[in-house]
Formats: sequence, C-alpha cells, structure tokens
Amino acid sequence: MSNISITDLRKSYGQVEVIHGVSLDIEPGEFVVFVGPSGCGKSTLLRMIAGLEDITDGDLEIGGTLMNDVEPAQRGIAMVFQSYALYPHMTVADNMSFGLRMAHAPKDEIDRKVKDAARILQLEPLLDRKPAALSGGQRQRVAIGRAIVRDPDVFLFDEPLSNLDAELRVEMRVQIAKLHRTLSNTMIYVTHDQTEAMTLADRIVVLRAGHIEQVGTPIELYEDPDNAFVAGFIGSPRMNFLNARANGPKSVEVAGRTIPLPNLTADLRDGTALQLGIRPEHLDATDGVRLMMDVDVAEDLGATTFVHGTVGGETLVAERRAHVGNAVRELEICFAPDKVRLFDPDGARVR
Amino acid sequence: MGVSKTKQPLRKRGGKARSEERRFAFLFVMPALLLVVVFRIVPLIWGFVLSLTDARGVTEGAFIGFDNYAELARDPAFHDSMANTILLIATLPIWIMVPMLLAILIHQGVPGGKFYRAVYFFPATLSSVIVGSIFNVLLRNDGQLNQFLELFGIGAIDWLGNSNTALLSLIAVQLWATFGMSLLIFLAGLSTVPSDMIEAAKLEGASMLQTFWHVIIPTLRPIIEFVAVVTTIGVLTNMFGLIYVLTAGGPGTSTTLPEFLIWIELGRMNRPGYAAAISMVLFVLMAGIAYAQVRIMSRNVNV
Ligand SMILES: Nc1ncnc2c1ncn2[C@@H]1O[C@H](COP(=O)(O)OP(=O)(O)OP(=O)(O)O)[C@@H](O)[C@H]1O
Ligand SMILES: [Mg+2]
Repeated sequence: MSNISITDLRKSYGQVEVIHGVSLDIEPGEFVVFVGPSGCGKSTLLRMIAGLEDITDGDLEIGGTLMNDVEPAQRGIAMVFQSYALYPHMTVADNMSFGLRMAHAPKDEIDRKVKDAARILQLEPLLDRKPAALSGGQRQRVAIGRAIVRDPDVFLFDEPLSNLDAELRVEMRVQIAKLHRTLSNTMIYVTHDQTEAMTLADRIVVLRAGHIEQVGTPIELYEDPDNAFVAGFIGSPRMNFLNARANGPKSVEVAGRTIPLPNLTADLRDGTALQLGIRPEHLDATDGVRLMMDVDVAEDLGATTFVHGTVGGETLVAERRAHVGNAVRELEICFAPDKVRLFDPDGARVR
Repeated sequence: MGVSKTKQPLRKRGGKARSEERRFAFLFVMPALLLVVVFRIVPLIWGFVLSLTDARGVTEGAFIGFDNYAELARDPAFHDSMANTILLIATLPIWIMVPMLLAILIHQGVPGGKFYRAVYFFPATLSSVIVGSIFNVLLRNDGQLNQFLELFGIGAIDWLGNSNTALLSLIAVQLWATFGMSLLIFLAGLSTVPSDMIEAAKLEGASMLQTFWHVIIPTLRPIIEFVAVVTTIGVLTNMFGLIYVLTAGGPGTSTTLPEFLIWIELGRMNRPGYAAAISMVLFVLMAGIAYAQVRIMSRNVNV
C-alpha cells in the first residue's frame, strides 16, 4: 500500500500540451478511477505514473518518494493493459513469472507466487497453455495475474475490460472489485465507461481535455456535480438539459412553465439564461412539477422503459419502471424540484 | 494474439454439395496451378530427364541412366563447389544477424534511422555487375581497401586473387549488396511487434538485452525463418553475376559454387546433361535446407 501524490503534472508532445497541470492525492489502498471522453488524457496520465511517458513538468510522488525520473520497474507499480500485452510465445505460467525470472528470483519463490496468483484468479488449469489458446476473459485474468505476481504497491489498469463482451465485462468487473478487497492495494483504473467508474471506484476523477473537472465519490459526483460536463458524464442515460430562464430569485421558467427552486442558495437574476438538468430516473415522481411530454420512441428493456420525446421543443429522456407501450403519444412527467441541478450557460453549477 | 474465439465453420454438409463446391473452387485455382505446372514443374521434370542423358550442345543426347550423377561423385570441381557451398551456408547466421541487429537499432529510433535505412538498402538496387565492378577496384592489390589497411601497417592482401580470402571476400561483397532487403523485411516485422508488449517487459524490469532475447526475437521468429530461407536460396542461386565479374570461380576452384559450375559445364564445356545433373543436386540441396530450416524454426512456435 502506498499513497500517491501528483502536483501540477504536465505533459507536452512537442509544442502541444495535453495534460495541463493535474494535482491529485491518492490515499493508500484507495481505488481511484479516471474517467473522461476519448482523448482527454486518461491513458497519458496513467502512463506518466507508470513511467512509460516522461513527465514534462510537475511532481509525482509514490510512497513519499519523488518518482519523476525513477525507472518504471522501480516504482512499485504493475500495469494491466487494454490489449493484455501477453507474450504470445510463453505459457501462462511463464507469462506470469516473466518479471521474477528476469530478476533471477529463486525458483521456489517464483513457483509459490505464480501458484498463489493462479489460485486467486482461478487460472490453475490454464498454467501450461499459451495465450492463443485462451478466451478474452482468461487472457485478461492472466494479465492481472502477471501484475499480482509482482506484488506491487500500486496497480494500474488502462481500460482492461474494453475488449470483452458486455456479459464478461460485468463478470470481470466484479472480479476486480473482489481483488481490490482481497489485496487492498492502491489501484488506479482508467475507463471511459461510467458504469465501471461508478461501481468500482472509491473516488472518481473526471477528466476533460487534460484538466480535472471534478474529484469525488461516485455518489458525490452523481448527486452534486460541479458542472454540466460531470453531470452529463456520470449517470446513464445521461442527464437531460433544458434551456431555462430565471423569472424570480428562486424560480426558473422552462417550456412556458415556472418551476420553483426553493433549495437554491444563490439568488437568480431575472432573465438570466440557464440550463436546467434533471436525470431521466427522476422524471417519475409522484408529486412535484408536472409537464406533458410528446413521445417519439419508447425503448422497453423489460424492467425499465426509456421514453424519448420532447417538451416544448426540447428533447428529453424519461425513465419508467413499467411498460409504456408504443402507442403512447403523450406522457406526463413529474419531478421533485430538489432533483433539479442548475447550470449557467458555460456549464458551471449554480447552487 | 488478436482474434480469440474463431468459430469453426460447420464442415459437415451434404456430400454432393461439397464435391460441387470443390469442383467450383478448383476452377478458381486452375490458372495459378497451370502457371506453376507449366513454368515450374515441367521444366523441373524436363531438367531431370535431361540429366539422365549425355546431351551435348544441340544434339539430343542418349539415355545414360545415372552416369552423370556417378561422374559428379568423382568430379573434384564439384567436390570443391560443395565444400564452398558448405562454407557459404555456415556464414548464414551472419546474413541474418547483421540485418536483424541493424533493424532493431533503427527501430529503436537511433538518430538518423531513416537515413541508414535508405543507405543500407541502396546496394540492393544495384545490379551485381555494377557491385562487382566497384569491388574489383576497391579490393585490387593497389585498391582502396589495401591502401586503408596500410595506414595501420597491414601489408597488402590480394583479396580476390588469394584462394584463402577469395571466397570470404566474395561473401562479404554479396552480404553488403543484399542485406538491405533483409533489413527492410525485419523492419516491417518489427513494426508488428506490439509496443505495449515491450512496455510490459520494461515495467517488469527486463533489461534491454532481456527484452530483445525473450520478447522481441521470439516474436520475430516467423520473420527470421522467412529471411533464413530466402537468404539461403539467394546465396545459392544469385551469386553468379558477382562470381563472374569478381573471380570467375577462381583462383582454381576456390570460389566455384554449384551455380557457377552449372554455367561452366553448360556454357563452356557444352554439356547440358551434366549441367542438368548439377542443377538437380542443387535443387535437392536447397529444398532440403529450406525444409530443415522451416522444421527447426517452427518446432516450438505456435503463435
Ligand atoms: N505520442 C503522442 N503525440 C502527440 N499527441 C499525443 C500522443 N499520445 C497522445 N497524444 C494526445 O494526447 C491526448 C490524450 O491522449 P490519451 O491517449 O491519454 O487519451 P485517453 O483519454 O486515454 O483516450 P482513450 O479513451 O481514447 O484511450 C490526445 O489528444 C492525443 O491525441
Ligand atoms: Mg486511453
């Protein structure tokens, strides 16, 4: 276990800066997930921690030691790649023991560690196989096993599940969560799948274009996003955003309806343009603000139905815990005002 | 690596449909097959038939059974050419290691890698006659190489005129002239080695050398095998021009390779039957070596 401390970390490729001063403290044993859209710099940040990318500026400390210029192998980390990065010509056991063998560790120690890791990951029957003879999920477990064998302080995962099919992804997600509970190492996990982030993380770091947008527990990000980007990124289906206009210190007008927002601490100025955010799952309240929605499509998933439609010309998705049917043309939606999140036109939260 | 679960296509179908499908498939393979038969197999058989005759020049030879082969077994020139061939094949590791190591260095991104790549490849675009002419000058008794060596107090060596050095000089020149092609093949192969595999090795503390030996070279195995086979065939069949220009097989028989011997017997001695017999031996030799190489290399690769 080890704490990681990142201070004003920057990365440039030539003239182009892609990480713009990121600061973050990670507690020992914490499971931190980096999320963000493609190209936001998640992998780059992780690879800088791993030592696979040079740090252009800023400090990286692991376990209290400055690691900026320390060799990757000396940082006490192990990494699991999206592509698994297994050695195709070696058996599973040889793949897992590669690092120890290169360091000329004693044979009985190698055997013991490989056996332990194989037991944790249920890889025992596969130890003599080559990666080509494994399924995607099994390969991923081998890649994780290879990391475990190194007995690292910190595990780094770069989108480890994105090459797996949906079902297997859920299964492996649970395995990784269990693994974290068993080993209780510090783990940093990169994904662009917000479900993985929500289910695995102790804390989520939301990145956009090389900046941290918000850091917090999954519930904090879900309930109390700092800005429209985080609000839209966390939660599925994503939060609805409707154009609104302040028509009182504590009320806004949306699609011709006045919505009172008594919980607001700030006083709104009349006529200010705003964005009103409301999650699809909160449009099924029994009392609160009622609006009529013109239904375009109803997607029935069995347990829930996602109803796509418009309110006063603005598109909206509502969730229903019941069958809606395709014939419905109009649907009454209802939400409690305390579920509304307000944002200014630039996306900053208005609390 | 890559695709994991390829589903086996359903094989069992109605026998009739299958044979029909086969006939149809055969139709597509036909043209290529025809070309191979007409231009490869037929000449091979024809050559074999020729080798059983005592054909001389234009006259059609009489059938003499395996007499040509019996004569080969007693022919000192042929023995020498075989000995030279063995020496040539013994240098094969150099033919593979040199381009491979240079390719790895270029791939690692040494400064000016692209320049080296172009320079190394350049001789491969030259005809062997030109290469031969260049080295005829360079390796002469008063040539530049000897002048250069003299700076270090090493006396002049008649590189091409001395039977101890002639073959090695020839090999060195051919190596210089052709390794650029192998280098390009290795570079192409290296670009398919996944970079995160190398990064994984780095994270696990493998040294540069360990990464080469345990990760990169095993991944390159199919390429090494390919280069080995192609190079073997190349040195056994493509050195004629160089020999002709540089040494004409001499001094004595010290640079006579089977290929050159074939030409002597055919062109100078006018004995196509005998030349055909040497060709057959050369063919069997090459097929044998290629087969052995593929077997050795593929024994423990199942990537
Ligand atoms: N070698 C490079 N040279 C120049 N720019 C690069 C290089 N590698 C990455 N970048 C840029 O850095 C940014 C961050 O890339 P990064 O791979 O970290 O994104 P990511 O968040 O991991 O995205 P994804 O979810 O698609 O994996 C991107 O805009 C990318 O174009
Ligand atoms: Mg990435």
